[in-house]
Amino acid sequence: MSLRVFRRVRVRWLGIAFILLWSLVPIYWTINTSLQSEAQAGSKPAHYLPPTPTVRNYSTLLGGSGEVSGQIRQSTANIFVECGAATLVTVVLSTLAAYAFARMTFRGRTALFYGVLATMAFPAYTTLIPLYRILGDFGLVNTYTGIVLVYVSGFLPLATWIMYNYLLTLPPAIEEAGLVDGASRLQVLRHVLLPLALPGIVSATVITFLFSWTQFLFPLVLSTDQSTEPLTVVIAALQGQHVVPSTLLSAAGVITIAVPAVIAVALNRYIVSGLVSGSVK
Amino acid sequence: MTRPPLDTLPRTPQDTGADRDAAPGARRRRRFDPLPYLLVSPLALFIVALALVPAVFTIVESFFRVDALDPPTRFIGLGNFRSLLHSAAVRTAAGNTMLYVLIGVALSTVLGIVMAITLQHRFAGRSVLIAVLILPWALPGVVEGIVWSGIWDANSGLLNSVLTSLHLIDHYQTFLGHGRLETIALIELVQVWQITPLSALLVLASLQNIPHDLYEAAKLDGCSSWAAFRRVTLPLVRPGIAVAMVQAVIATLNVFDQPYVLNGAASTGSSVMAQTYFISFQNLDFGAGYALSLLVTAATLVLSFLVVKFVHRTVEF
Repeated sequence: MSLRVFRRVRVRWLGIAFILLWSLVPIYWTINTSLQSEAQAGSKPAHYLPPTPTVRNYSTLLGGSGEVSGQIRQSTANIFVECGAATLVTVVLSTLAAYAFARMTFRGRTALFYGVLATMAFPAYTTLIPLYRILGDFGLVNTYTGIVLVYVSGFLPLATWIMYNYLLTLPPAIEEAGLVDGASRLQVLRHVLLPLALPGIVSATVITFLFSWTQFLFPLVLSTDQSTEPLTVVIAALQGQHVVPSTLLSAAGVITIAVPAVIAVALNRYIVSGLVSGSVK
Repeated sequence: MTRPPLDTLPRTPQDTGADRDAAPGARRRRRFDPLPYLLVSPLALFIVALALVPAVFTIVESFFRVDALDPPTRFIGLGNFRSLLHSAAVRTAAGNTMLYVLIGVALSTVLGIVMAITLQHRFAGRSVLIAVLILPWALPGVVEGIVWSGIWDANSGLLNSVLTSLHLIDHYQTFLGHGRLETIALIELVQVWQITPLSALLVLASLQNIPHDLYEAAKLDGCSSWAAFRRVTLPLVRPGIAVAMVQAVIATLNVFDQPYVLNGAASTGSSVMAQTYFISFQNLDFGAGYALSLLVTAATLVLSFLVVKFVHRTVEF
């Protein structure tokens, strides 16, 4: 018996060590490279710690006056605008729709609800080419609006599903009390339901923001120059040129992953609850 | 806290009429209530205009010659599909993608189960470990390609350095772009890094539904931990494993970011999505691009369906 407990604990330690190494070693290695000079990073065997840590790669990228640093700064602004706008629109629209699905009966409700959910089973890239051509017809290729519209259409179903599941966990009795007191349903939504649904809203917001931040193929196609290219597209282009040293590229990588990494670690509870909501029936 | 299954949308209590009549003006709204339609119409508009209409475009135009360099658009029946079948690049990419899917689905499922089991019971630091676990899921695929190229690199990579220090190899090796299977496995490992956290979370959610009594009973019956895992845990987490495998199928069949960064335009590790991109946006042969993305979509749906059919089992406690 005690042997079995001992074995189980030992196996768990192996699992814990595996998760830590698996998640952190690649990220540590990129940070390590980004803090070295080009010569140090090329040494054999490699330096497992930066011998003379330097932030020169970062200051070159963020403060420099060269072409690369200009691109990094512009694309950082772009990714914040695109992800912020897409997240805001997605969360507002999905909350309104989820409220209707969770609390009201109306004609076409079931058909629309399953229709929206069904789009999640399709790979997003199915609509890549037609979206490019449709947005082109409306002059929206290479605009913030075009990219945001595509992101919103892509992330609305999941956000609606998350909000819908969260609203179902709230007892309707509270809203009924508000309705009996003579409040309109929109007032009840705003003053009673939304404060209670805050954890669900945070889940939908964080997940939508992270999904927008990781986009690559859609903006690669929908942006045609630096005015709208997000960080992900610019960093892939830098890597493809084969002239940017690995140290500078690593620093650019760290800059790109810093925001999602901090969000993921700080708000992991909301991500977990949102991602598994309703997935396991 | 139990949620109703998908197929039974709950009736809404405040629409029974009793509450309504208490509100002033309710009787007028009773006949036609525009509010729910107003609430869902933006969602419906987005889905119709930017998902349904484009999907119909893909289906219809895959039977047309749509080429920016060769107008006008004209009906050619199965011509696009035929030219795809005869393209060596597409056939290679299809074979590569099968390898991506096999490696990616198998590895992410096994690792996801291992991670979920590690996290099954409470222990100090468990929530920190979950935060660390999620990290790779939240990062952009292209940056993950750059992160891992620092490990695979032939001149300054971590793997070369470690293997040399351990005297397992005597000089630095080129790992990527060397052999086809090796290149694909290493690129897919990067994608597995990205998709495994979600698999682990989905399996973990399933694990936590298993009542503890079942383990007690298994222990009383003299089950070893391995037997308990095989006979109690594994059958009961099948719903979680099925969902995890479906997300892995969708991600791996559509793999693009990681090969784009780690493989470039080489045919060694080219994926079907990479081919779709090159055909549509470099050769501007949209018709063939439509046809290929239609085939990828069909393959994704069929494979997801097969996973659900053979892996998913409804479990009730």
